[in-house]
Amino acid sequence: MAGERLPWIIKYRPKRIEEVVDQEQAKRLFIPWLRQWLSGRPPEKKAVLLYGPAGVGKTSLVEAAAREFKLELIEMNASDFRRKEDIERIARVAATQSSLFGRRKIILLDEVDGISGTADRGGLDAILELISVTKHPVVMTANDPWDQKLKPLRDASLMIPFNRLSERDVLTVLKRICAAEGVRCEDEALKLIASRSEGDLRSAINDLQAVAEGYGEVTSSLVRALIVSRDREYSPWEMLRNLFMSRYAWQAKKAVTHTNLDYDTVLEWINENIPVQYTDPEDVWRAYEALSRADIYLGRIRRTLAWDLLSYVFDLAGPGVALARRKSKFHWAKYQYPQKILMLAKTREAREVREALAEALAKRLHTSKATVKSDVLPYLSIIFRYRPELGARIALAYNLTERMVQYLAGPAAAEVLEHLKALREGAERPARAAAQPPATQRAPAARASAAQRRGRTTSTTATSRRRRRGGTASGQRTLF
Amino acid sequence: MASQLSELLWAEKYRPRSLDEIVNQEEVVRRLKKFVEERNMPHLLFVGPPGTGKTTAAHALAHDLFGENYMQYMLELNASDERGIDTIRTKVKEFARSRTPPNVPFKIVLLDEADNMTADAQQALRRLMEMYTATTRFILIANYPSKIIEPIQSRCAVFRFTPLKKEDVIARLKWICEQEGCSYTEEGLETIYEVSEGDMRRAINILQAAAAIGRVTPETVYKVVGLAHPQEVREMIKLALDGRFTEARNKLRQLMINYGLSGTDVIKQIHREIFSSELKLPEDVRVMIADYAGEIQFRLVEGADDEIQLNAFLAWLALLGRKLRGVTR
Repeated sequence: MAGERLPWIIKYRPKRIEEVVDQEQAKRLFIPWLRQWLSGRPPEKKAVLLYGPAGVGKTSLVEAAAREFKLELIEMNASDFRRKEDIERIARVAATQSSLFGRRKIILLDEVDGISGTADRGGLDAILELISVTKHPVVMTANDPWDQKLKPLRDASLMIPFNRLSERDVLTVLKRICAAEGVRCEDEALKLIASRSEGDLRSAINDLQAVAEGYGEVTSSLVRALIVSRDREYSPWEMLRNLFMSRYAWQAKKAVTHTNLDYDTVLEWINENIPVQYTDPEDVWRAYEALSRADIYLGRIRRTLAWDLLSYVFDLAGPGVALARRKSKFHWAKYQYPQKILMLAKTREAREVREALAEALAKRLHTSKATVKSDVLPYLSIIFRYRPELGARIALAYNLTERMVQYLAGPAAAEVLEHLKALREGAERPARAAAQPPATQRAPAARASAAQRRGRTTSTTATSRRRRRGGTASGQRTLF
Repeated sequence: MASQLSELLWAEKYRPRSLDEIVNQEEVVRRLKKFVEERNMPHLLFVGPPGTGKTTAAHALAHDLFGENYMQYMLELNASDERGIDTIRTKVKEFARSRTPPNVPFKIVLLDEADNMTADAQQALRRLMEMYTATTRFILIANYPSKIIEPIQSRCAVFRFTPLKKEDVIARLKWICEQEGCSYTEEGLETIYEVSEGDMRRAINILQAAAAIGRVTPETVYKVVGLAHPQEVREMIKLALDGRFTEARNKLRQLMINYGLSGTDVIKQIHREIFSSELKLPEDVRVMIADYAGEIQFRLVEGADDEIQLNAFLAWLALLGRKLRGVTR
């Protein structure tokens, strides 16, 4: 036994096309396309893109076909796409006509959705180039072919969908393997594995092997103990696609629950893509209304830790959003990444500065930070933008940082900072400090010096007004 | 410190320091002065609208009791900024242990915006007040007395601060203008009174900003008020009402990024805009929008997500806009 501990998924790989379980539709599309290649007249689309969930037989079909038609399989995986030279090397092979007696070839690019749009830009181009020059059939596979970056590949390919396998199909294969291995398997146990696999034959066979090899038998109690919910996980794109295509509530609910994304992320993806998918304002509103309700439940859960409310989150984010479509026609939409994470990073700095300002001023003005934000910062900002030199003196009084000045002054920031620098240098000059008694910040003292300040203030005011008229439409925007 | 070069915010600079400097709220001030004379006082509860001098009066009282360095005998807390009753308890406990003033048998805990505390937190506060009553007096400040629980009200002497009279506000603004040597018109100051709704702090803030722009006239005052509330909010509402949801959503994102606004900040701004004459809307529709804005704000307070809720609001506006166009067509 020890010598032949092959993974069962390899050992029991289909050898012939008819052994590939189900996928009749895919076979009906794929086989004629391949035959056309072999007949010597390449089809119009020189590549096919096999797409569908994991473990349903995409690669198996290609392998079985290669074996059956006696083709040399040249295989390349996602990790290889990063290296442009590798693709080009394969492309050279692909572009070469087989000799009369040499074996014909079939080129398999597995998991092309693993290619990343920006980093592998060169790789993507190399694949397109390969398709255009090839003298041999090119087959690509993907779980989610709908990503924007794969559009050129979609356009260049015959698209062939694969379905999830039925529980019964999976069960049949499991039984056959049990018999071949001579392992005692309870029917109930196999059914359990099959149902947990949700049509992913590869994971079902792996599960079966894990239990059988570990314990020499497969019982339902072992399966229950060992095969802890390996839930089928949908990628965000798959989740959205499944969600928006759902016609029944249960489908929509399944779409949002069977994903590896956490709840907040699920909501963010939906939030981002409602207007991408729905075109009618009424549908958009209905969908957002449902989503906002889901979000409220999530908020309640966070506050009360009543996690049994989670089901309602999914009810609203799933069926609530999916069934909001009444007028929009379904269309293949290019889903977008949620901007939230990006936004948070961008807003964080502004928020932190605003918070720090509020904190600094709240103490001095004896009020709450909220009041500072709503009632003080907006007006302060106006002063900073319209009267940079006055802004600088305020910045000096409250010891504001450069970032705070930038936040308050916006386009006038450079000018304020320049004044501030001059003021600080002036303040350090000892002659000046001696000439004028150090006033405290208490009002009586401040008031005492008010008259003396008045003269200077008015003169600087005049100059700055002149400058303002010349200089700025910049102060137009301000904050609150 | 180069304070001859620096410039204070007028709201700080012209805050009255002692009870004598407070020109309005005569009845309140008269009673507070009695406490100073007797060097004793009960717990106090100051209630009244914003900007009527509650916090100022509390500081002035402490100043008159403890002298120039009164802050070492007063703990100032703001319930909106403290994280829960536990931090308040810790701070009060620590403060109660600190040095007592020489001539007065107690210290003061000033708790501002106390009506922002939950009823439970107020219960805990009540116990706290009892625990340290031998050495400490509390001054609680609130806008709405009804939001302070009965047991606390009954333990405090309640002081009602009335809205400031127009002539008092204007006299004060005029006085500040004279101190600062800024030019103004009578109508300018009246306009400040109108737009600040009797809130002295806001009035002074607006005055300082208007004076920075130029002569204080109704025009500069309106300009300042307009600038304080960015145009983007109004533009966002208009886009949504036009049915351009995606653009409205982009506007929302810009607002949040450029200004660092929270969802609550944005919805408050929206609320302000709803009744502005710049938005051409049937009057009853304004009320509908306000109602929904209130709902959204409540959801945000409950801990909902800023963007999802505001998007829901914009989607609703888009639908509303379509219905309105249908009506007028």
